[in-house]
Amino acid sequence: MIEVKDLTKRYSTRLAVDHISFKAPEGEVVGLLGPNGAGKTTTMRMLTGFMPPTSGSASIAGIDILEDSLAARAKVGYLPERVPVYPDMTVEEYVLFWAKLRGAKAPRKQTATVLERVSLADRSKTLVRNLSKGMRQRLGLAQALVHNPPVIILDEPTIGIDPQQVIEVRDTVRSLARGHTVLFSTHILSEAEQVCDRVVIINHGKIVAQGKPAELRKKLQPDLHLYIQIDKLTPKEIEKLLKSIPQVENVQKAGDGYNVRVKKNADIRTELIDRVLRAGGSIQEMRSVIATLENVFLDIVGKEDV
Amino acid sequence: MKGVGIIFQRELASYFSSLFAYLIAFALLLVTGVLFVNDLTIAADLRPPDAALVPNFFAFALIFFAPLLTMRLLAEEKREGTLELLLTAPATDTAIVVGKFLGAWAYFTVILLLTFTHQFILLWVTRGQADLGIAVSAYVGIWLYGGACLSVGMVFSAVTENQIVAAFLASAALFLLWIGDRVGTVISNIDIARFLRELTLQGHYSSSFAVGLMRPEDIVFFAGIITLMLFITIRLVEWNRWR
Repeated sequence: MIEVKDLTKRYSTRLAVDHISFKAPEGEVVGLLGPNGAGKTTTMRMLTGFMPPTSGSASIAGIDILEDSLAARAKVGYLPERVPVYPDMTVEEYVLFWAKLRGAKAPRKQTATVLERVSLADRSKTLVRNLSKGMRQRLGLAQALVHNPPVIILDEPTIGIDPQQVIEVRDTVRSLARGHTVLFSTHILSEAEQVCDRVVIINHGKIVAQGKPAELRKKLQPDLHLYIQIDKLTPKEIEKLLKSIPQVENVQKAGDGYNVRVKKNADIRTELIDRVLRAGGSIQEMRSVIATLENVFLDIVGKEDV
Repeated sequence: MKGVGIIFQRELASYFSSLFAYLIAFALLLVTGVLFVNDLTIAADLRPPDAALVPNFFAFALIFFAPLLTMRLLAEEKREGTLELLLTAPATDTAIVVGKFLGAWAYFTVILLLTFTHQFILLWVTRGQADLGIAVSAYVGIWLYGGACLSVGMVFSAVTENQIVAAFLASAALFLLWIGDRVGTVISNIDIARFLRELTLQGHYSSSFAVGLMRPEDIVFFAGIITLMLFITIRLVEWNRWR
C-alpha cells in the first residue's frame, strides 16, 4: 500500500506539490486526477524515489521512501509518462534487464510470464525500435510489472494510443488490482470513473477532493437535479408552475425541457407530477440528473481558479 | 554494490549490438595496422621496430575516440527518458555510473586486445627479438590512460542530453590534458611548467610507461583521475533528481 503524509515539493520558485496526504490500500486502483501541470507527475516521481520531497513523508508497502529508498524502490513498478526504451535491445532483453535490475527472483521465467500477459510474447525477439507506439506502451507496462511489485505506479498510461489499446490498458490496470496497489494518473475523467476504486483530485499541487467516484459525485452535488419535459402548456405557464413549488431553487431551460434544481433532501417528484396534471399538462419525460465526475471536476477546478 | 554487474553487462552488450562501435573498432584497427606496417618497413635493417607503437598511437587517438565511446552513456539515457527509470530502480547512483564506466572500459579493453595481433606479427617478424618489456608496460599504461580518458568523457555525457555536444566538449578537455605535455614550450618558468606537466595525461605516460617504466605514481595518477571523474559524474547524475 501507499501512504502519503504532507508530501511537499518546492522547485526554486514554484510549489509543485503542496502538503498532500492520501492512502492507497492494497487491492485498490487509485486514480490521481488533475489537469496538466497539477503536480501528478511530481507526486509520482517522489513516490518512486526519483526525486526527494522537500518535506513530508511517504511509505511504500510500509517502507519509508526517505529512510530506506532502495528497499522502497524495489517494491515499486513504475511507468513514466513517456515510455523510456532502449531502441537497440530486443523486447525480451529489455524486460529481462529491468527484471534483473529490480531484483526479480526468477528473471527469465518472470519475463516470459509478463510478456505473455501484455501480449508481446510473439515479439520477444523484435528490436524495441521496431515496435508501434501501442506496443511500446505495453512494453513499458511489462517493465513495470515484471518483478511483481506490490505497488505499481503508472503515469498517464493511456496517452497517445488508439482507442482499442486504451481499452486494453484499462483492462490490464483493472486486473492488476488483485494483490497490488495501483496508483495511476490521468486527466481523463471517464477513465478514472471506470478504472478507479478511489479518486484523488489534485489541482495546483493541492488535493481538492478525494473518495470513491460515486461518493465524490454525491458529496459534491448533493442537491437533486430533475429533468422534466412537459407538453400542452406554454413555456411561461410551465416556468410559473415549476417556480411555484417552494423547494425548487432554480429552473433552467434545457433542450425541449427544463432542468430543475431542488433544495437538499427534498423530493418533489410526486408533488410535481400532481401539479402538472392538475394544470392540464402531460409529462413526456422526467428523470433525475446524475452528476458525472466530469461536472464535479470542472466544478472544483473551476472554483479553485477563481 | 548491487546493480553494477547488470548495468555493466547491458552497457558492454550495447556496444556489440551497435554498428557504430564496430565501425570505430574497425577504423582504429585499420589505422594502427597501416602505422604498424609502415614502421616495419622503415625500421627494416635500420633499427629495431617500435614495440610501443600501437599504444603510443592510442595516447593521441584517445582524444577523439574515447568521447565517441562515452558520449552515449548518460546523454542518451537522459534524452530517451530511461535515466528516470534507472534512478527509480533499486540501484544507487554510484552503481549506475560505475557499471556504465566499466562497460565502456571493457569495450576499450577488447579493442586493445585486438591490437595484440600486431605484437604477435612483430614477434614473428623479429623471430622473438622484439622488446616485449616495453610493449607490456606501454599496454598497461595505455589501458589506464584509456580508462582516465573514458572517465573524462563520461562527465561530459552527464552534462548534456546532446551526444554531439558531449563528444565535442570531452574531446576539447582531453586535448587540453594531452597538449599540456608541451607546456614547457610556452612557459619559461621551469617549476611551473613541470608542475603543469604533472597534471597531464601524457606527462604520466610518454616518459614512463611508453619507455618501459611502470612507476607507482603514474598508476596512482590515472586511478586518481578515474576516481575523481566518476565522483563528479555521480554528483551530476544525482543532480538530475533535484531539478
